[in-house]
Amino acid sequence: MDPKTAMYIAQGIHGLAYGMILFLVASGLNIIFGMMGILNLAHAAFFMLSAYFCFQFVSLTGSFWAALLLAPVATAFFGILVERFLLRQVRGLGHMAELILTVGVSLVILAAVKIFWGTESLPVKIPPLLTGLVSIAGMDYPVYRLFVIGMALTVLAIMSLLLYKTRLGKIVRAAVSDAGMVSALGINIPLVFMLVFGIGIWLAGIAGVAVAPILTVFPGLSDQVGMDAFVVVVTGGLGSLSGAFIVAIIFGLLSSYGVQFFSQLAPVLMFLFMAIVLAIKPTGLFGERE
Amino acid sequence: MTNKVSKWVFWLVLVVILAAYPKLFGLYYTNLFVTFAIFALFSVSFNLLLGYTGLLSFGHAMFFGAGGYGTALALKHIEGLALLPAVLIGLLSAAALALILCPLVVRVSGTAFSMLHLAFGELMHVLALKLRNITGGEDGIGGFPIPPVSIPGIVSIDIRQPENFYYFAVVCLGISLLIIWFFTKTPFGQIQIGVRDNAKRIDYLGFKVPQTKAVVYVVSAAFAGVAGSMYALFQNLISSAALNVLTSFAPITITMIGGVGSFFGPIVGSGIFQVIEELTSRYTEQVELVIGLILILVIMFAPMGFMGAISLLKQTWFPSRTARVALKGAS
Repeated sequence: MDPKTAMYIAQGIHGLAYGMILFLVASGLNIIFGMMGILNLAHAAFFMLSAYFCFQFVSLTGSFWAALLLAPVATAFFGILVERFLLRQVRGLGHMAELILTVGVSLVILAAVKIFWGTESLPVKIPPLLTGLVSIAGMDYPVYRLFVIGMALTVLAIMSLLLYKTRLGKIVRAAVSDAGMVSALGINIPLVFMLVFGIGIWLAGIAGVAVAPILTVFPGLSDQVGMDAFVVVVTGGLGSLSGAFIVAIIFGLLSSYGVQFFSQLAPVLMFLFMAIVLAIKPTGLFGERE
Repeated sequence: MTNKVSKWVFWLVLVVILAAYPKLFGLYYTNLFVTFAIFALFSVSFNLLLGYTGLLSFGHAMFFGAGGYGTALALKHIEGLALLPAVLIGLLSAAALALILCPLVVRVSGTAFSMLHLAFGELMHVLALKLRNITGGEDGIGGFPIPPVSIPGIVSIDIRQPENFYYFAVVCLGISLLIIWFFTKTPFGQIQIGVRDNAKRIDYLGFKVPQTKAVVYVVSAAFAGVAGSMYALFQNLISSAALNVLTSFAPITITMIGGVGSFFGPIVGSGIFQVIEELTSRYTEQVELVIGLILILVIMFAPMGFMGAISLLKQTWFPSRTARVALKGAS
């Protein structure tokens, strides 16, 4: 195979891996929005927090796998605290209050991260099992990127089974459309919402750990990936998982090929794509609600 | 003393205080006041969208930046440009940007509106960073000439003197505030509030909702541009930092602190914000942390901000008076 094609395919794998990370972040955002109607602007900050936790756990235990398990759970714990003690208190005040509250939370997380870990970028090593290349059909692929793609797909398969095939998923989806009725059936609605919020943050946390060895951990992480994830969610349509999936992959590929072909304009391409989609359909590609 | 006379006395006292301020408090607090006034206008223009029309923009910094870059670029590249046209160019460039975005943004509301602005704001930020040969990237445009305020042959005031700049800025910003104030008092201002409260009813009454939003949007952007233009003149520098997300969150914080939906809320909020920032910057670098905590605390405990808290206190202390005001409002 000639080197040019090989390079294109390698770029494609990079793009897919980035798209998967975007989708993990965006899906958490989408689940929280779809189930609770809250657009969590602190989502990217939680994502970054998880990357920092990953760094911390790796340097404490020396094991990336421990960090992969623990960091998202620790992040989700903080997310649940935010839901229980902040978001729940302002639920009656409308979406504006919730939005601004999550902005406040994201600023606090950003500042806290800078206080605890400083502003330098911190390296996280890829575990030995996932370093190097694997060759499939005469092509070399970086193992870690393939691992990220596989992990994202597994997590999302489990998530969608949980939401659409189990009793819990049924309760959660019912609670969205008629909280009063579900509550009258004896189900603890606040608990369900707390759980949903925790799961959403946990998804962001997984993405945070996955991204830590690729991009290193630094305070700009939430801006860089977070903004992309928000654009994915808005372009795909708020609350639509399939929309987010398609757009995340498009953006992943767009960012990796964009850097190659028009390096100057690469960061702008995504926003242009979003503007065009929204100009034609204000609710996003697959969205129904605003 | 009748109501009217007390009003005139209030304005007179205000003008006297403003005129004497630099003499009384010195250079440092004069500059602090200019910053306060710039952010007060920025927030009032923002509140025109949030408080009056119910649209929360997460990217208002792009109009602030457009005004700043417009003025800075004009002064840098046009030889012998006078000051007021330069400010006007700032206003027009922000308004032009708003006009371009208008057809897209007036069709959406709620969360989509906010998110769209977050993305557009970021787009402008990235553009300002990348178009290095026009905007100067991270370093921005600095050291452009600042012409004096002059009426040819009569008077010429060098506003590079901080005290003179104070008067110039206060007059400019004051006039802008007055224009916005009258704008909200026109029948059009009432339609605006109607759009916020019940867009469908406004539609049935025969007013066009998207067009109304568009006009408010452009006006709001234009005055955010004036604030940005003043900011560029004040610092003699405009950089991509003026376009970042934190600049967009400044008017949100200020408006929330002061009180959404009241005209004077953002002005009061800007004052409180300035005091808080001044006090915290003496002790800590963590301005973000403080802003975040303030946002959380205000939403949790005083969702209507300072003005809301004041009116609550009024209701408990002077129940008869507020009842009368409420009756007046109902009629």
